[in-house]
Formats: sequence, structure tokens, C-alpha cells
Amino acid sequence: MLIEPMTDVVPSFFAMLNQGPLTLTIFLHTVIILPMFWIYKQEKKRLQEEQ
Amino acid sequence: MANKNVSVWTSIPFWRRSAAWVTGFAVMLLIWLSFDTLGQISMGTDADLKNGVTKRVPGATVINYHIDYKFNAKRGSEVPVIGEKQKFFGRDDYSEEEAGALLHLGKLTSQSKNCMNCHTLLGNGAYFAPDLTKSWLDPAWQNGGPLQGMTGKTTVEEAMAEFLQHPSQYPTHARMMPDLGITADEAKGLVAFLKHMSSIDTNGFPRNFSKTVETFKAGGTHAR
Repeated sequence: MLIEPMTDVVPSFFAMLNQGPLTLTIFLHTVIILPMFWIYKQEKKRLQEEQ
Repeated sequence: MANKNVSVWTSIPFWRRSAAWVTGFAVMLLIWLSFDTLGQISMGTDADLKNGVTKRVPGATVINYHIDYKFNAKRGSEVPVIGEKQKFFGRDDYSEEEAGALLHLGKLTSQSKNCMNCHTLLGNGAYFAPDLTKSWLDPAWQNGGPLQGMTGKTTVEEAMAEFLQHPSQYPTHARMMPDLGITADEAKGLVAFLKHMSSIDTNGFPRNFSKTVETFKAGGTHAR
């Protein structure tokens, strides 16, 4: 399972995400990279309209 | 018009906005993590201990209790287990203030005597001398252990305190601990400091502590 029930001593959002070796990494990469697609599309649109 | 060939990858504004987003997000994340950490490392209270509330860093009165270290399959590491009441220098009724003062004295002593110059405490320090993070749980200091035996004392705390006051009198390693002029009160504080430290949940650090204990019980040693 990607996200396991809380096993940490002090419950926290990051503890919940960090139950597996890759869950935190995958989550952070996802939330950082997805908006970059949006930035890319906006810039593409802007460049196309400029020309 | 909309399908015109444009190169976004060579566009400076694209990279500028991406960099700003990644940097901004990382800054927000680090600020959040800092506050999250504050919650993780804040010390528990006497009431937490009495009510069985688990804290990463238990309250100072944990010195009134027996501390064990057990492998937790769910966590995948060893975790401290706070058990029944246990006498510490003949008492198991230290108040929060008394225990706190003892720990404070121990911390100040560990700093003034520069323990970290040779030892490691909670991951900070040197590896010239044994790691002290879980030293309270070291079987060598328990009943029947050679370190307790050499001091002629009958409890872990008395044996450790005796050793700390006269370290150069006792044969330990090839690298013997020098006499640092630690007084009886300071030694008591230091032992309380070490007992409390062993009760801190360090996510299994130092790794394989129990494995070294097993090796030790089988007659082997990790000391060189």
C-alpha cells in the first residue's frame, strides 16, 4: 500500500506521507511538477500569441 | 495562429517562473516542516507518562521508570518502551521540577565537559568513544555486566556515576576515558541525562543497537 495507517509516535501530515520509502518523494515531486505543466502551457500560449 | 511553432524550452520567462515556483514551494515546505519538527521534538510531561501518552521525547520524570528497547515490526525499527516504576538513586518519586533540574545539570555538565568531543549523543559528536545515545540500555552496565561489575556497584545509575567520577581508574577500552573532574552531583545529573536520552524515540538510531547487544551476550564485542 502506498499510504499505510499511521504508525508514527506523534501523528503528523508528513509522518502519514512518509510511511513507505518513496511515498513522500513521489508526493512532493507530483505537487511540484504538476503546476510546471500549467506554467509550460501558459508560456506556450503566450509565445504563440506574441508571434 | 494557435498552432504556430514556438520554443518554450528556450523561453526565459518559462524558466524564471518555474524556478520561482520551485523555490517558493520549497520555502513554504521548509517553514511547514520546521513547525512540524517543533511538535515532534517537544518534551512530554509527567501527566503524559502517567496517562500512557507516547511522545518522541518523554517528560523528565521518565527517570522514575524502567526503560526498555524493543524491536517494533510495524515501525521497522527499535523503539524505547517505558515500563514499570524503577528506582533511580534509591527513589522513584522525582517531581517534574526535581527531574528537570537533574536533567538540566546533566546537560550543562555534558556540554562543559565536552562529551561530544569523543562520544556521540543523539547523532551529534564523535565516534572516538562509544555512542552514548542508548548507553543506559547497554547490558555491560546492567546486573552481571562487566562495566557494572568493575565499579563494585549494584545498580546501573550508581555504577555509571562511579565510573564518571573516576573514569581513569577503570579499564574499559584501549582508549580509556580521561578523568574530567566530574563531581558526584554532576555525575548524578549526567546519568539522569543519559537515562532520559535512552527513552527518546530516535527512529531506531543508532542502528542495530540490539544486534550489538546480542553479539555482546554471545561473548563478542564491537569495541576495538
